[in-house]
Amino acid sequence: MLVEFELLQQAQSGDVGAFNQVVTAYRRRIMGTISRLIGRPEDVEDVAQEVFLRLYFSLDQLRTPEVFEPWLYRLTVNASYDYLRKSKRRPESRMSDLSEQQVMMADAAAGSKAQMEEGEKHRVRDTVESLLASVSEDDRILLTLKEVEGLSLKELEQIYHVNENSLKVRLFRARQRVLKNVKGVTRRQANSASSGDGL
Amino acid sequence: MDDSKMNEIDSRLDDLFRAYRAACPDPEPSVNFMPEMWAKIEAREASSTVFNRMAKALVTAALGASVIMALMSASYNQPVPAYDGSYIQALAADHVSDLEPFQVERISDLEQ
Repeated sequence: MLVEFELLQQAQSGDVGAFNQVVTAYRRRIMGTISRLIGRPEDVEDVAQEVFLRLYFSLDQLRTPEVFEPWLYRLTVNASYDYLRKSKRRPESRMSDLSEQQVMMADAAAGSKAQMEEGEKHRVRDTVESLLASVSEDDRILLTLKEVEGLSLKELEQIYHVNENSLKVRLFRARQRVLKNVKGVTRRQANSASSGDGL
Repeated sequence: MDDSKMNEIDSRLDDLFRAYRAACPDPEPSVNFMPEMWAKIEAREASSTVFNRMAKALVTAALGASVIMALMSASYNQPVPAYDGSYIQALAADHVSDLEPFQVERISDLEQ
């Protein structure tokens, strides 16, 4: 845990300074998770503030320190779901942004190591986001939490309130659905690369 | 697709997810993050206070209205006292004497 339970208890009793410390400790991590869940950088901060607002109004329900982080993740997942439902849009593939950036990068000093690394990162982001965009929202969020955020099955159990076995089944099926799309996505990217957009 | 190929793709997918995590660093919050968050918290608190006040006022008004209605219905429906006399006494008391006596005219009078 990033904070001591005593600090949480102080925040529970209405200590604004303690609550600020809790937010400061977790906000970057939460913003990172949100940015990977909603795929909209401009709205990440808004959703993160909503998460901490919900935390503020429900912190008095917290009884044991072990459940704090899974609970915070649950608030994060719920706020992300709410955002996605409200905006009714899926995270968009950054293919078009990528192409522009790639062109700009190619126009600039081509071949430098830093740019190649940056280009590789773009390629990875584009591939994974395309793969995750090809499955349902539930699958995408579950896979992001498990495979990208690195949450354990125990933590996911507490977030989803389901047992480990059914989580394993859901994860397996979600991975299968992603794997089905691997071929198509990589083929599209290869075409895009050969047509001059790719790195 | 055979098993070995499937396993290979599976492990490539794991590598891809790891690379994705590394390629997506956590964003840095802006300087306005905390002030904006507190502004939202205060706004939510204020709206919930207004809601609570409205709810309390409504409950009070509803209670007052039901008390007034109860009083009004009590005054309109005074219970009729049960008569404790006999049936004959009740008939006598029911203004029977005020009625005109029943008169039977003779048929001979009608015939005239």
